[in-house]
Amino acid sequence: MLLGYSPKARKNREWLALLALKLVAYVALIILALMIFYIVFHGFKAINFDFLTKFPSDFMRKGGILPAILGTLYLAAGSMVVSLPLGFGAAIYLTDYAKPGPLVSIIRLGVANLAAVPSVVFGLFGLALFVVGFGFGRSLLSGCLTLGLLTLPTVTAAAEEALRQTPQSFREAALALGANRWQAIRQVVLPAALPGMLTGAILALGRAAGETAPIILTAAAAFSPALPDSLFNEVMSLPTHIFNMATNGAFIEQTRVRQFGTALVLMALVLGLSLVAIVIRAKLIRRRKW
Amino acid sequence: MVKPPAISARSVSFYYGEFQALRDINLEIAKDEITALIGPSGCGKSTFLKLLNRMNDFVPGARLSGEIIIGGVNVYGPQADPVEIRRKVGMVFQKPNPFPKSIYDNICYGPRLVGVKKKSALDEVVEKALKAAALWDDVKDKLNKSAFELSGGQQQRVCIARALALEPDILLMDEPTSALDPIATAKVEEWIKQSKLSIVIVTHNMQQAARISHGTAFFYMGELIEFAPTLTLFTSPKESRTENYITGRFG
Amino acid sequence: MKESNGVHTINQGLESGSKAGYSNKIFTLRPRLSPAEKGSRLFFLICAILAMGQMFLIMVFLFKEASGLFISKPGSPALSLVDFLGRNDWYPTYPDATFGALALVAGSISVALFSTFLATPVGLGLAAYLSCVASQRRRELFKPMVELLASVPSVILGLVGMAVLAPFLQQALNIPTGLNLFNASVILAIMAIPTIASLAEDALSAVPRDIQDASYALGATCWETIWRVILPSAMGGLATAVILGLGRALGETMVVLMVAGGAAQIPNSLFDSVRPLTATLAAEMGEAAIGGRHYQALFALGAVLFLTTLAFNLLAWHLSRRWRGAR
Repeated sequence: MLLGYSPKARKNREWLALLALKLVAYVALIILALMIFYIVFHGFKAINFDFLTKFPSDFMRKGGILPAILGTLYLAAGSMVVSLPLGFGAAIYLTDYAKPGPLVSIIRLGVANLAAVPSVVFGLFGLALFVVGFGFGRSLLSGCLTLGLLTLPTVTAAAEEALRQTPQSFREAALALGANRWQAIRQVVLPAALPGMLTGAILALGRAAGETAPIILTAAAAFSPALPDSLFNEVMSLPTHIFNMATNGAFIEQTRVRQFGTALVLMALVLGLSLVAIVIRAKLIRRRKW
Repeated sequence: MVKPPAISARSVSFYYGEFQALRDINLEIAKDEITALIGPSGCGKSTFLKLLNRMNDFVPGARLSGEIIIGGVNVYGPQADPVEIRRKVGMVFQKPNPFPKSIYDNICYGPRLVGVKKKSALDEVVEKALKAAALWDDVKDKLNKSAFELSGGQQQRVCIARALALEPDILLMDEPTSALDPIATAKVEEWIKQSKLSIVIVTHNMQQAARISHGTAFFYMGELIEFAPTLTLFTSPKESRTENYITGRFG
Repeated sequence: MKESNGVHTINQGLESGSKAGYSNKIFTLRPRLSPAEKGSRLFFLICAILAMGQMFLIMVFLFKEASGLFISKPGSPALSLVDFLGRNDWYPTYPDATFGALALVAGSISVALFSTFLATPVGLGLAAYLSCVASQRRRELFKPMVELLASVPSVILGLVGMAVLAPFLQQALNIPTGLNLFNASVILAIMAIPTIASLAEDALSAVPRDIQDASYALGATCWETIWRVILPSAMGGLATAVILGLGRALGETMVVLMVAGGAAQIPNSLFDSVRPLTATLAAEMGEAAIGGRHYQALFALGAVLFLTTLAFNLLAWHLSRRWRGAR
């Protein structure tokens, strides 16, 4: 018989270790949940029909946040116009066309590293290239292009992952039936991989909607009296609106409720999109037959 | 002289969620003998084996009725501690699964868990276990090398030695040679035959069961169809389903 | 890429028998591409190069805009890199502007380190709980929750720091302002916990099930299995998770802009105000004249930030590869 700890000491240690782990997990989850609850609770006080459909007035103390909501939607949608085609194209190249070699390694490393570049650096880049370099000024267009580039690595990586999970045999089957490479991709690979690729795109859309620093640098107006009627107008957006109300001017305390109201709208938008993506992904995994 | 059984299962039924994987199994497994569980895949033989050391506890939705008595204690009784049971009932898996550690640390894993710390005691355990698994001569000069550097058959014998280091009363083997080549298989079989332990081995290979076991149990669709001394079962089975299986008419 | 499909080249070639008069030449198989094929291929290649080429474009633009600061011109003396990073005199709007960014660098480092220090144990604990301890049902409930929390926009967390945590700290500790290093680190940690937990959970789940089974079958308890088998095997992934978390904390802008207090000073205590690099960029870019010295200095800060996060990322990548190789 082997000697050592008494079983009781071992059991106590086990109990303690697991208790500590559970405690950490629960405390973390509870703090995070409380925070969300706080935002929802205080945000709801601000939300009514006017808040969602009117322009702000009286130094943001009255009126609504319609231009910020629309501005965020424009910016997020515009960024996808930039990043989806490029990201999907790049992913298709990497999975289906590229031969392994230094070029592919460099591309993949570049994409992976770009995902970790701070968003404010993308903001600087957008400022130097689009706002100043191309002379677009602080505008919807500059903002969309900057956010598009910002989300490009996310979109590319997610699409590549989805394409990679499509079995090689699908491609071989199509090629063996006389399809050329592009036909095989368009008719067999893309339909199979598209839901996964779109999941990544939705997550990127959420991220674009919530980004603040790059928009401050490239697109944001603190207040604009009208909705943008061209790509070269400045826009308001939800995140910058929160930021401005919370940090500028003499009415920080008076607009507190509206800050949380705006935060709630933004959070609903971003978390809603993420939730959609998570649900789609869960369904995909369950439905996948290969 | 009749020895008390090593394991007795009494009307054991087992469910994965809604699916009933085992139906009313009654089985007495003899002490110090080798018992083979055979049957087509999905018949419940592996499930039954994993019940014996409570490795099915990790399967979500697992439910059980009946009792399994090992060493006079119901393994699923309210007082039973799965950790204690697994220490007394060792297990060797289908695929060799050494830890990504040295051979020495692999063997010491179990003893260290129960608090053995002294180097001399551990050295002794390692030598004894490796000798028992007929691996000592192969690896005695490279105990500090990673277990992954060994061949598949040697890795499987490290896993056997690792289980033996805890001096288990019973050793469960779940198709231990299915991932091995014929030469490695022969070595493992040879070890099983000369060991003096109570061994329960699941195999899909009927020749293997015939070569090494004293008693053989035939499972089919979650039921225990027939349990007899190996020679009897293979030469004059009572049940037609057993006969069909061993003559290769299905499965 | 291992499984590039279709046959492009067969390296060994085909050896045919010479007896029947075949040539012994080894030849290469190539697919024949139609013009449409070539066109689509070119399009995708351009996409890929654009996707990655950004990396170089960003670098070029940051360095180009920043370079003026370090090159002497009439009316604007050159700043040395040592002065830029080593001196503590960030007065960009004074008539005799000076650009010693040491306090900003110190602010970034202190916030990033302290927030990672707070977030790492909690994030790893949460990951260990999710992957090893929680029941199936709890895991399926909590995992998406954690993922959702990872996507809360940082400006919202900044708002919580300003409106909730800051007044609380100010009252509870009786300090002049609740907007300080401590507050920013706590909020950043809250932000990093889901990220670290998510990445670490992936690393823990990637530990093969069969060696976990082996551990249980040898009579190990749940905690012993986590401690002795799962953690050592997942070390590379866990280290990567922490380093990536640190990189994110360094690069995060809104939280530090809103709650770190904004004073360009080297902190002496946890409750001092600081002004990290990212906050400086976002706060001052609006008032810096395009092309001026201040503008150049801000781009130089951006370049520092870019190179630092790049280094962290490469380190994480290298670590995860080395650990995988060791296994």
